[in-house]
Amino acid sequence: MQSIARAPFRAVFLAEILINLRRVAPYAMMALFSGNALLWWGAGPATYRGWSTNSEHFILSMMSVFSFMTCPLFTAVIMGEPVIRDFKVGIDPLIFSKPVSRAEYLLGKFFGNFFVVVCCQACFALTLFGLQGVSVSGMIVGPVQVAPYFKHFFFIVVLSHLFLAILYFTVGSLTRNVRIVYGLALSFYPVYITWQVAVLKKMPGWRVILDPMAFNWGDAITHGHDAEWLNQATLSYTADVIANRGLVVLLSAACFAFLYARFSRVERSRDREARGRTSIFNLTPQSERLYEEVGMAGLVETTEFWQAPAASAPLPIVRTVGTGLRENFARFLAALGVELRLLRAELSLIVVLPIAIFMCGLEVAYFGGGTGQSYSAAYASVTAEVSLLFLLGIGVFYTGESMHRDRELRIEPLLWSAPARNSILLLSKFAAVFMILFSLITLLTLISMAAQFYKGHGPVELLPYLTIHSVISVPNIIFMVGASVFLNVLLRDKYLTYAVSIATGVALYYLFTQGHNNWLYNFVLFRQWAYSDLTGEGSHQARILVQRVYCLALTALCLGLAHLLFERRSSRGVLGEGLSSGRGLAALAAIASAAIAVLTALILARAS
Amino acid sequence: MRPGSIWNKPDFLVSKRAMLEIKDLKKTYPGGVQALKATNLELPVGMFGLLGPNGAGKTTLMKILATLLEPDSGEANFRGIDLIDKKHEARRMLGYLPQEFGLYPSLTAEQTLNYFARLKGVADGKERRALIDALLERVNLSSARGQPVGEFSGGMRQRLGVAQALIGQPGLIIVDEPTAGLDPEERARFHNLLSEIVGEGTVVILSTHIVSDVSNLCGRMAIIRRGEIISVCSPREAVASIADAIWEATLPREDVPALRSRFAVISTQAFEGRLRVKVISRTGRPGEEFGLTQPTLEDYYFSLVTQAGSGN
Repeated sequence: MQSIARAPFRAVFLAEILINLRRVAPYAMMALFSGNALLWWGAGPATYRGWSTNSEHFILSMMSVFSFMTCPLFTAVIMGEPVIRDFKVGIDPLIFSKPVSRAEYLLGKFFGNFFVVVCCQACFALTLFGLQGVSVSGMIVGPVQVAPYFKHFFFIVVLSHLFLAILYFTVGSLTRNVRIVYGLALSFYPVYITWQVAVLKKMPGWRVILDPMAFNWGDAITHGHDAEWLNQATLSYTADVIANRGLVVLLSAACFAFLYARFSRVERSRDREARGRTSIFNLTPQSERLYEEVGMAGLVETTEFWQAPAASAPLPIVRTVGTGLRENFARFLAALGVELRLLRAELSLIVVLPIAIFMCGLEVAYFGGGTGQSYSAAYASVTAEVSLLFLLGIGVFYTGESMHRDRELRIEPLLWSAPARNSILLLSKFAAVFMILFSLITLLTLISMAAQFYKGHGPVELLPYLTIHSVISVPNIIFMVGASVFLNVLLRDKYLTYAVSIATGVALYYLFTQGHNNWLYNFVLFRQWAYSDLTGEGSHQARILVQRVYCLALTALCLGLAHLLFERRSSRGVLGEGLSSGRGLAALAAIASAAIAVLTALILARAS
Repeated sequence: MRPGSIWNKPDFLVSKRAMLEIKDLKKTYPGGVQALKATNLELPVGMFGLLGPNGAGKTTLMKILATLLEPDSGEANFRGIDLIDKKHEARRMLGYLPQEFGLYPSLTAEQTLNYFARLKGVADGKERRALIDALLERVNLSSARGQPVGEFSGGMRQRLGVAQALIGQPGLIIVDEPTAGLDPEERARFHNLLSEIVGEGTVVILSTHIVSDVSNLCGRMAIIRRGEIISVCSPREAVASIADAIWEATLPREDVPALRSRFAVISTQAFEGRLRVKVISRTGRPGEEFGLTQPTLEDYYFSLVTQAGSGN
């Protein structure tokens, strides 16, 4: 009898795991968390403070920082949507018409997804655990440890994120609006830092009890000790930490009880007058809530459509323009507007952009100001360098999304039967992603300038920022997006393109670390320039400018080839409509840019 | 404006001769499936039905005419424009509603139509707004104009699909399986909408496997099976051609195999534990139980499809 009662819970639990197994996010999180562990192991405090990479102190500090810095947004990615997804895809009536209790449904949903979150987070701990077996010169590795990895992972990471997960899950389930969940996740950092600085810091020793992340609790024990002592130290949980963890579990249970009490499976009111109202837990107007909107659509169908058939008024005659430059530019602007609107609607962008801004902002905030050049040049240089990885990642990812969106949404037949040139369809995607990246670099520049001003590293000069971004960052963006457009057209598979892009990036970085940094394949001039080079004070100004022309020529070649290889055809042959057609011009542009690329490559080769 | 037309159609578009000519169109997919075998068709103005079972090659033909698929050989000309080689020019006079299509879920109905109108080349903002208003009114989506398309029902999406196909007075409108998946009311409404589309000088190709769609809407039709056009006529001619040749009886199930060996059985339907059988026979009554019945377009369609299937 008991097993029958548990069956719905198990079914919901397993279904959630299966759904997550078919998503990209958990795998991306696993890779990211493992990479994170690798990075902090290889380039973290262990290497320059003399800490043993498997000492309990190191393990604990890694878990604490991982739990605070890396995880919160990703927990929201998994935990915010489970219930919303059911209402979005319309499977809710099928589930709720079965003998599934509210508790079974909510518990199954929650634990199914939380299990996935924990599995992803475990990749961090397991990678650190596995890295005990690896030692590089200058790194201290103690005797093999097992229990501390699992103990600290469970106490610091899992229990802290149990509370965050249930908070996100509750808000997502009650509001049925994923944007609120992401908003909450983004506000985690300012709220938590304020809580630490404004409240906890001023409290006596037992303040640890009130810290939901148990961040820095070990500091009181380890503070003032040298590396040798820390490498030998065994850390056991004190009464206040155990009380803290107990409080977190109690809070989580209370949060779930609240959700259980408030969650309703019945269809919400379709009262039109209720549109726009807000309440404490229905934080958005109804127009933002999926379930309600579907209901409104149905209402339009039944009350207005069939009772009031359309009048047979004639359609107005409209003039359609030809295919001149001006007309095509108007079409391009229309396509660009839609592409930007669609990119703006990407939920992941709401998460990724703030992470990029936060990480780059942190780097700039702790930047000392450098030496030997103006503060503005130093700040602009560090902004250009730290933003490179984000620009590359965001550029490749959103170009892929943009290039394959039309096929995934099955809108291609409609678009491709419209009299818009292939160049319009391709360049609008290129330009939209470029504009997103350009906005990001502009925003980062403003943050950098503000940080410079706040820290008194004046004067804030515009020229170094303009010079560095116009010579380094902007051409890099153009190249990365152009190359990505070409790869997407050539490979015709989004994930294959991502894999090829990542592999190429990693290979080029590996070559760089091995000393192979020829400017012909160090396309983005990674660590090959200084501000003095750009102003002519250094020795590389002309060479850098030639390399930039080389990169832009390669971009034009990529775009020309993308146009020629684009799946949508306008004639039988490659040049079926002549040299003055879109494909003809693309072929000419590709040839011209290839010639420029070869010429500049020869100059660079000779100069090196 | 002429009665029955939804546009104020310029006179040069009004013509009764064949507007769309398809010659020896062939298409074989990489897997070896021969989707079209030397297809020849001449389509006059008006609504033309292309009827065939699933997998007959309808969608392949529609995609080629909509400039989305390259044939292996053959020609397709619309008003003298080569649809195969001058695709860009052809797209300017094309309205296409595919069998399966999606829309950007985050855009509203109005934004979607605005986008397609601009791609189609409706550059004047005032004209575009008037057109979108009229189109939304026409397909009865005015009240949902500001609603994201992701929240539309299947019928609403289909109507928005029709609206985008009507942008810019297309001369050739291709509608592929438009009523599949719609409920009866929505289908009836859709039939009315499609019949209003047909302006003079416009060719509308309606591809479907639902016989009643063609009988309700089309002046002429073709039946396609396994990539071959096996009949071109009007629905009226089709029904007239099998007058006094369709016989119906209700028989025990076990009698049907013997009947099949002697006559062309065009349909069987379970009825009170027996089978209601329709047979085509021009040589007289197939048996005593049989009575002559009023032929329908469905009978004609099944008679052709079953004959072609049996190799007769």
